[in-house]
Amino acid sequence: MKPWRSKPWRIAALVLALAAAAGVPWYGSDVLIQFGINALLLAVLAQGWNIIGGYTGYPSFGNSVFYGLGGYGVGIAMVKWGLPFAAGLAFGVALAVIFALTLGVLVLRLRGHYFAIATLALSQVMAAIVSNVPLADRNIGLVLPPLNNDPFFYELALGLLVAATLCIYVITRSRFGFGLIAIRENEESAAVMGVNTTLYKVLAFTLSGIFSALAGGIHAYWITFLDPDSAFDISLNVKMIIMAVFGGPGTVFGPLVGAFFLSAVSEFLSSEITSIAGLFFGLVIVAAVVLMPRGLADAIRNMHPLGWRYFASNVRAHRL
Amino acid sequence: MMDLLSQVVANGILLGGLYAVMAFGLALVWGVLNIVNLAHGAFIMLGGYLAWHLYYIVGLDPFLGLPITAVVMFALGYVVQRGLLNLIVRGPMFNSLLITFGLEVVLTYCAQLAFSADFRAINPVYAGHSVSIGTVVIPVVRLAAFAVALALTVGMWTFLLQTRLGRAIRATAQNLVAARLYGVEPRHLYAVTFGLGIALAGVSGALYGTVSQINPYIGASLTAKSFAISIIGGLDNPLGVLVGGLFLGIVESLTTLYIGPTYADVASFGILVLVLVVRPSGLLGKAA
Repeated sequence: MKPWRSKPWRIAALVLALAAAAGVPWYGSDVLIQFGINALLLAVLAQGWNIIGGYTGYPSFGNSVFYGLGGYGVGIAMVKWGLPFAAGLAFGVALAVIFALTLGVLVLRLRGHYFAIATLALSQVMAAIVSNVPLADRNIGLVLPPLNNDPFFYELALGLLVAATLCIYVITRSRFGFGLIAIRENEESAAVMGVNTTLYKVLAFTLSGIFSALAGGIHAYWITFLDPDSAFDISLNVKMIIMAVFGGPGTVFGPLVGAFFLSAVSEFLSSEITSIAGLFFGLVIVAAVVLMPRGLADAIRNMHPLGWRYFASNVRAHRL
Repeated sequence: MMDLLSQVVANGILLGGLYAVMAFGLALVWGVLNIVNLAHGAFIMLGGYLAWHLYYIVGLDPFLGLPITAVVMFALGYVVQRGLLNLIVRGPMFNSLLITFGLEVVLTYCAQLAFSADFRAINPVYAGHSVSIGTVVIPVVRLAAFAVALALTVGMWTFLLQTRLGRAIRATAQNLVAARLYGVEPRHLYAVTFGLGIALAGVSGALYGTVSQINPYIGASLTAKSFAISIIGGLDNPLGVLVGGLFLGIVESLTTLYIGPTYADVASFGILVLVLVVRPSGLLGKAA
């Protein structure tokens, strides 16, 4: 085994990378910090989705609901009740947990496409309900008290991402994590082996919701504005799925890498070729699904022995 | 009050017929290819633009132009399936969602670049005409769109039940391996099925352009509605989709009248979730 592949080296590299990331507010430009906050929050969302979609195998389109609830938790607590930011985050998380526990039990009975569509519908329903709730100021949206402290938001987002990644790391080495993977691979077998599938699925959904809600809360306070359309934006949910799947779902670092890579690509595109950036993003997705359907992590691992034939072998394996 | 109610129900039925054609294409592709086509709404949008250009540039009546729209969209669908989607059909189910989402993004941006973001509506000379049945007033255009929708549903049903190709499509939906053994060439058949689904999307887009307005961004919500209808009606037969479409149209109209327009989506998607939870195979579908 090559020395840089051994565990101490890997940990050292991780700590270095983390230190470099944490230091960005001291040496980076304002633009880089703002890009960082966005990319970190998206990475948190991708990791949150990874728990329910990547490990448990339930393709949730409802994670943007948690994100919206987290945002509205902060918004309502700060604007309507004059509470501090931390209390708002806690309120947002509480909303997300209640949502995950009550509706999770119902929709997690469905599988595959049906689960995806039920959660998609839930996010539409939530957006429409919130735009009719007086406490959330209906369609007008909420304006939060501004806090011009980008380094604070940056470090907060970074801390949240580290917490999410650590959480996933711990899960993958626990009974709970093995249970989730068993559910993904074959739910009936998992149940037969004594996994309490309903409990595990609801817990995974809730955990995924907590991280998404925290990301939503931080984003709301950072942007200082919230309205139902942007808070429950379905394209955000699609984004987090693409990032997780692009990086490698069901791996500890895949979604993180996918999120940073795609954030950088889309940032680069929108600064270089403004008008067709979105078009190019769509083409990247299409090409990625055809050429590397198991994600970036798998591609990097298998690229070396196979070279360009890796892509051809993927196409051959999945075509009709 | 009774007059208002019957008018609203009539509007809902007319809208529902159109919804049914939209959902029909999605349900066909979903049922046979097991691909939930997230770009379905984008193809509806393209069909609408095609009809708009046929009417305002070529001068062809929107209803007479429907066959041309159908043929062009069929060809587009065939090529997309044969050249792209056939490459990933056997991959994980999630990849088909992602790739069709990518396709949706591409189509939407192309439409935005080609046609601008302005709202377009197809208004033939008879757009203002209407017929009255008792106190209910029905615009001629909506009635014609509804008639086309009904005819298409019945026609597709007969096609699937009676023709050789229709039988091959249904056989493939039930068991790909067995169908292959009986001489069905799946690459071609998948492409034909997807082409049919896209042709239906295109025609419904052309009809949508005559009763409503189109812009490059209508795709996503129309895809969501098509989903809802397919789920309510089940994927088994066109009749279910028709009932699902009418149901959704009426519910939307009634919700708009009695509770408020902002709640129309709550009603339709709330029903979708309820149906899924209570009866995952659809209200009219066979038990899974």
